[in-house]
Amino acid sequence: MTQIELRNINKNFGAFQVIKDVSLTVEETEFVVFLGQSGCGKTTTLRAIAGLETIDSGEILIAGKPVHMTKPEARDVAFVFQSFALYPHLTVYENMAFPLRAVRMPKAQVDDTVRRVAGVLKIGGLLSRRPSALSGGDLQRVAIGRALVRNPKAMLMDEPIGSLDAKLRDEMRVELKRLHVEQRSTTIYVTHDQIEAMALADRIVVMHAGVLQQVGTPAEVYANPVNLFVAQFVGSPVMNVAPVTLLDMPSGAQAVLAGVVAGFAVPRAVLAQVSKSGAKNITLGVRPEAIDLSTTPRDGYLPATVHIVEPLGSHDIVDVQLGDHTLRVRTRSGVVAAIGGPVWLHLDAARVHLFDTDTGKTLGITL
Amino acid sequence: MAHIELRNVSKSYGGAMALRDLTLDIADGQFFVLLGETGAGKTTTLRLVAGLDKPDTGQIFIDGQDVTQWGAAARDVALVLQQYSLYPRYTVRQNLEFPLRSPIRPMSATDIADRIAKVSKTLRIEHLLDRKTDRLSGGEMQRVSIGRAIVRTPKVFLMDEPLSALDAKLREALRAELKGLQITLGETFLFVTHDQVEAMSMGDRIGVLNKGRLAQVGTPFEIYNNPCNTFVARAVGSPAINLMPGRMQSGQAVMGEGMAMAHPGGAGADGRDLIFGVRPEDLQIAPGAPVAVRVTDVENHGVEQIITLQAATHRLRATVPVTQKLALNETVQIGWAPDRVALFDAGTGQSLRHGG
Repeated sequence: MTQIELRNINKNFGAFQVIKDVSLTVEETEFVVFLGQSGCGKTTTLRAIAGLETIDSGEILIAGKPVHMTKPEARDVAFVFQSFALYPHLTVYENMAFPLRAVRMPKAQVDDTVRRVAGVLKIGGLLSRRPSALSGGDLQRVAIGRALVRNPKAMLMDEPIGSLDAKLRDEMRVELKRLHVEQRSTTIYVTHDQIEAMALADRIVVMHAGVLQQVGTPAEVYANPVNLFVAQFVGSPVMNVAPVTLLDMPSGAQAVLAGVVAGFAVPRAVLAQVSKSGAKNITLGVRPEAIDLSTTPRDGYLPATVHIVEPLGSHDIVDVQLGDHTLRVRTRSGVVAAIGGPVWLHLDAARVHLFDTDTGKTLGITL
Repeated sequence: MAHIELRNVSKSYGGAMALRDLTLDIADGQFFVLLGETGAGKTTTLRLVAGLDKPDTGQIFIDGQDVTQWGAAARDVALVLQQYSLYPRYTVRQNLEFPLRSPIRPMSATDIADRIAKVSKTLRIEHLLDRKTDRLSGGEMQRVSIGRAIVRTPKVFLMDEPLSALDAKLREALRAELKGLQITLGETFLFVTHDQVEAMSMGDRIGVLNKGRLAQVGTPFEIYNNPCNTFVARAVGSPAINLMPGRMQSGQAVMGEGMAMAHPGGAGADGRDLIFGVRPEDLQIAPGAPVAVRVTDVENHGVEQIITLQAATHRLRATVPVTQKLALNETVQIGWAPDRVALFDAGTGQSLRHGG
């Protein structure tokens, strides 16, 4: 049961700064996910916490104690990698017992611990097998088991299910969550997959170019992204973004996308808020599910053309052409039948995001 | 433009049967996706059509012509692989020119320039033409690889998981681009993948392969809504379809202790062991619904929530709107829409609608 605190961490690889002034407190029993593209500094941060990487400045505290002088093995954190790193010549039992024997735990206690953890992970039936006889999911369960037997203060996981196929990843995600709910160990989990982040995290930490972009619950990060990077990194399909001009028309305020003749109606109060923000250029962001698509003309709906339909079974993603823009819209299955046909679009103003194009930051305006 | 036909094709490598009696008809101008896991035989099929391998038995036709014994060069097909094989020290333009400078099919310099201009516009790589390929991102490289395939205007495009090495965002973008490209070109695409999202979203038709055998061919809609067996049912959709063993008992589907829901049954459903299949979006959580279950996990994906539910003997997944508030360990009532439930024979896994 452990709190992990990062205070103003900086790290350079040569002239390249991988971590820029990162500060974060991971609370006891919390499951925090570092989310970002490869090269964003998330793995380096995780390795620094484990002691596998030094930092150039700043402080790392585990359970309130600075650990910069503590060796990795003394930090009492467990690390699970994407590659399973099991001993191929040892059985599952021996692989899991290995870290315990290394600290000379009595034999009976080793046996108890291995069997208890194997039970939790549902690999009790595999203990006498060798890794080569296991499936990918079971291998990763064993790797996690080997990390868990030591009853570490914290679990650090680097894309632990990234190499598994989609179906298995889906199942392992649920298992990891169940395991965390049972064990309550403080966990930091690194991934580039926003689906994993949304599914697992108590809080998501979005990283980009070594900088923390946003820290929040999955719901917060999804509903209120602080900048264009976060807005487009979380959510699938990606949030639609386009340069927009806000106009005061006799009929009401309109958001007109660049190069499009007509605009979407927005509440008039937005105009004052936008001019107060001082932003010169504005980008509108709207998620695919916040666009309503009609196959017949309706009041306040703009005409557009269907470009592509992607049926996904449970729903469709429809790419529509509006002026020079392609917008992706999520619809019920089978709403749009014909490619090239006309459709009419409406934005749910309450779910429209406005960003300052030059800084990328949200204007913080809720319509 | 080409019509591809495989008739009773089998192929083994060493002692292992990679393909068993595969018969497939791909219409001219169709985007056909072969979906299967590793080892299902999808790459083998592609290699046979490309002419890189010869079948043990059976025939392959392109536009009605038996090409079974033809070499790869004579078939006029283009192959795009997962690992882009571009010449690293050449520019994008040189890479695109390469297939056009073939001694078999000579072309004039102006024709080559025209062709490259057109292709690079289609793929939006015009600004990259003079860049060396080792200075490109993954998505740009894959676009150039596709460009190198289409610049030749071959009869058939064969694609072996061309998107799987890319990251999720790029894959999502290229998916739509590739489908748009196929629509624009109007050419025949044979695309193999293990990713059901790619298969569903891009294919005009999908062929599902299971251990070298073709399990089902159909439109994405048919495969998703009317799978012929439990294997196909599980092959598409995420989270996977819920499959529950049970029996019909006096107008109800009974799937173990406390787990009974209304279902009309249907021809041949009574008195046999069945598997009831219902997709996560077709389970409804509502007060007054017939079955009590416990919420064991709530994943908020922003656009929807994926819920894991524990019934007495089953673990179920349901997708519900984000507006629906659910707490961990809460007991909720679930029901289904009977017309959204598929019935399979418990022994064979065959759907009753498909004669199981």
